[in-house]
Amino acid sequence: MRRVAVVGVGVTKFGRHDRTSAELFAEAAADALADADLPAGRVQALYYGNVVGGETEKQLHTGPQAASVLGIPTVPTTRFETACASSHAAFRHAVMEVASGASDVVLVGGAERVLNVPTADSTEYFAYASDASWEQTLGLTFPGVFALVARAHMHKHGTTEEQMAAVAVKNHKHGVLNPKAQFRKEITLDTVLSSPKVADPLKLYDCCPFTDGGAALVLVSEDVARTTRRPIWVLASAAASDWMLISDKRDLSRVPATERAAAAAYRQAGIGPRDVDVVELHDCFTIAEIVATEGLGLFEPGTGGIAAEKGWTSLGGKIPVNPSGGLKAKGHPIGATGAAQICEVVTQLRAEAGPRQVEGARRGLTHTLGGNTATVLVSLFGRD
Amino acid sequence: MTESTVTLTQFFEQARKGALTGIRCGACGALAVPPKALCPECGARRWETVPLSGEGTIASYTIIRVAPRGHADDAPYAIAAVRLREGVSLLGRVVDVPLDTLAIGMLVRFRPIVVKDRPAIGFGPA
Repeated sequence: MRRVAVVGVGVTKFGRHDRTSAELFAEAAADALADADLPAGRVQALYYGNVVGGETEKQLHTGPQAASVLGIPTVPTTRFETACASSHAAFRHAVMEVASGASDVVLVGGAERVLNVPTADSTEYFAYASDASWEQTLGLTFPGVFALVARAHMHKHGTTEEQMAAVAVKNHKHGVLNPKAQFRKEITLDTVLSSPKVADPLKLYDCCPFTDGGAALVLVSEDVARTTRRPIWVLASAAASDWMLISDKRDLSRVPATERAAAAAYRQAGIGPRDVDVVELHDCFTIAEIVATEGLGLFEPGTGGIAAEKGWTSLGGKIPVNPSGGLKAKGHPIGATGAAQICEVVTQLRAEAGPRQVEGARRGLTHTLGGNTATVLVSLFGRD
Repeated sequence: MTESTVTLTQFFEQARKGALTGIRCGACGALAVPPKALCPECGARRWETVPLSGEGTIASYTIIRVAPRGHADDAPYAIAAVRLREGVSLLGRVVDVPLDTLAIGMLVRFRPIVVKDRPAIGFGPA
């Protein structure tokens, strides 16, 4: 298999947009191609993530639409849907296309538009990623899924609501430093703890927002990468799945798919969690970040809450997590999230992240989770 | 007995009448919640139908306060993952239990409910 590098990245401002998801993707992709200094004519395939376009935009076949709006209508295009991990799944398959030698230049990205519909509708559409017969019928929501995880983690490990709140405070603090972030305002523990309950024990500020946005990146073979200024190498990209039903998980305080995807990625790259300098992970809810830091091997099981509380995951801490602000503050346009996380890690490894730069970062990790913890992707990146 | 002996429709038809139906692998004995084609433990395609007691303990729970459209009138409502005595788990609405008394480890018992005209899993006091 050939080495693969990311040589261009682009991300729209995250937040509310009066544009279609295809337009948002096209802006990000044009920026990524400009960043790579490669003409659009070099692109041989598009791997695209979009989740609820069928509901919020009455739009299927979003891959070719995105390619057409970008202006590359004839490249082979495939849309991936693995709930919130869609564009990270797209990325993994694109890496395999380039690594295999099938293509030399591939575009990866995703976009989502949800703020054009009321919250009750978007809550319902997101719940479509849980099981229609067993879970949606009960009125289970995604905050509800992670509330089940939170309650189990609190029961088993003594994790506190204050520790979860510390994740939100930290990610909002990071988000202030990211001009693309949806929320650029610091909050306090009390902001989180006194916010309205959404699904006990999770409160409004434990939850990431609904977001419109797009992200894209350019993947190339080693030969092409050597002609560019600052390639960031893909060291690994691994996926794992798990039972669809949240009730089928034996231990709700863990996300086994994260543990398996991380183990596979570390094995591929030949490195371990201690070799990672910067992490962008899937903090759709504060408890999700805590459980992910444990599943990725950054902290021992049960100590993720302590790590957040002590500032070990803050910029300047032992292992900075979500310097972009994460899903919590940067925002979570679900189809774009995996690609956006990769864009952030690439920016960090290029040492181009400005005030949110993790000093001396050489290796980075991205982690994206889909659905009821049934899909997880983990990728690792390194600079020369 | 060959393929999954219980379809989703059949499971919920039975549940509506108050009976929970599991499936047991005819090769390795693993118990599962239908529908399944292959046994996740041994890969066999030989299931037999077994009744489930409906008795279990709460493995985790939440109280949904911001509900999806269509469930808003019910909010707040409790949802729990319940580990049945036989070892498999089901998600259900918890009914007739004061929300502030919910706890992990609490004993509950299956109770058929209807949500939005569809049969669904409920759990009430043991």
